Amino acid sequence: MSQEIAVIGSPDFTTGFRLAGVQTFENVPDDEKDDALDDAVERVLDNENVGIIVMYDDDLDHLSRGTRKAVETSVEPTLVTLGGGAGSGDLRGQIKRAIGIDLMEEDD
Amino acid sequence: MAEDVKPTRKNLMAIEDRIELSERGHDTLEQKRDGLIMEFMDILDQAQDVRNDLNEDYETAQRKLNMARAMEGDVAVRGAAAALKEHPEITIQSKNIMGVVVPQIESSKVKKSLDERGYGLLGSSARIDEAADAYEELLETIILAAEVETAMKKMLTEIETTKRRVNALEFKLLPDLYTNQEYIEQKLEEQEREEIFRMKKIKEKKEEAEAEEAAAAEAAAEAADADADAVAVDE
Repeated sequence: MSQEIAVIGSPDFTTGFRLAGVQTFENVPDDEKDDALDDAVERVLDNENVGIIVMYDDDLDHLSRGTRKAVETSVEPTLVTLGGGAGSGDLRGQIKRAIGIDLMEEDD
Repeated sequence: MAEDVKPTRKNLMAIEDRIELSERGHDTLEQKRDGLIMEFMDILDQAQDVRNDLNEDYETAQRKLNMARAMEGDVAVRGAAAALKEHPEITIQSKNIMGVVVPQIESSKVKKSLDERGYGLLGSSARIDEAADAYEELLETIILAAEVETAMKKMLTEIETTKRRVNALEFKLLPDLYTNQEYIEQKLEEQEREEIFRMKKIKEKKEEAEAEEAAAAEAAAEAADADADAVAVDE
């Protein structure tokens, strides 16, 4: 079954992806993120046609704890964040927990 | 708890079987954990490269989009974005790495030619095309990142589970089994010592009884001999 890529974020963030043909998107203006981002993410998570969710890394801070955990740990659809440092979501923390050391430590 | 186990030979044999099985399982799980970590390290290198590409592609795409916005106006860019007909599709297949099913993502219609974009050649500019190109390239890197990072997430979950199982066997199950084995062995040895002591006591008593019987018989025989001698003297 073929799936789609979904983009969630401010209209400025999603426009570029729409230019590349992404049709599943959720526009959440910056001033509404605290209230509306949770619902947007949950809608996309429930959409079976979505295989990859693209979000801006800082936007994850606007999510409630439960939704953030759900989207970060979701495998289908999987989350890819842009603008962050090391890996999407809590990948770095997960590596630290599983392996015991911070393998994604950035060289400053 | 050792006190909950009945100190019988049957239980000891059952515990020895469980120890053997648990030790074998512990070794196998340790090997699996080490193998998974090695596979994970390979993917990690790949993931770090993809992450760097992703950040670079995102910066480039953003720069080109900002340029298009500045030159053509926000409305023109949004208009072009809304006109797109073909959308990128992904097909997720799976492959197996040491028992962990990881995805293999195939994509189609990500890179499009000018006429496939649908906003028309006259209605747009080279800057919008460049921005669209850059975002298409970014999408390809995102798909690769999704594949690699999902594989990492799945492997990390499996490593954590395997580690927990190894630790449970090493620090809980096996020590409990060893304690129970030691407890039963001690109890059985104690029972054996008691049994030997009891047998010894019985043997001693039996010997005493036999000695008494023999002494009584000897005394009776002596008395009979003495009587016979006395009768012979009288005659």
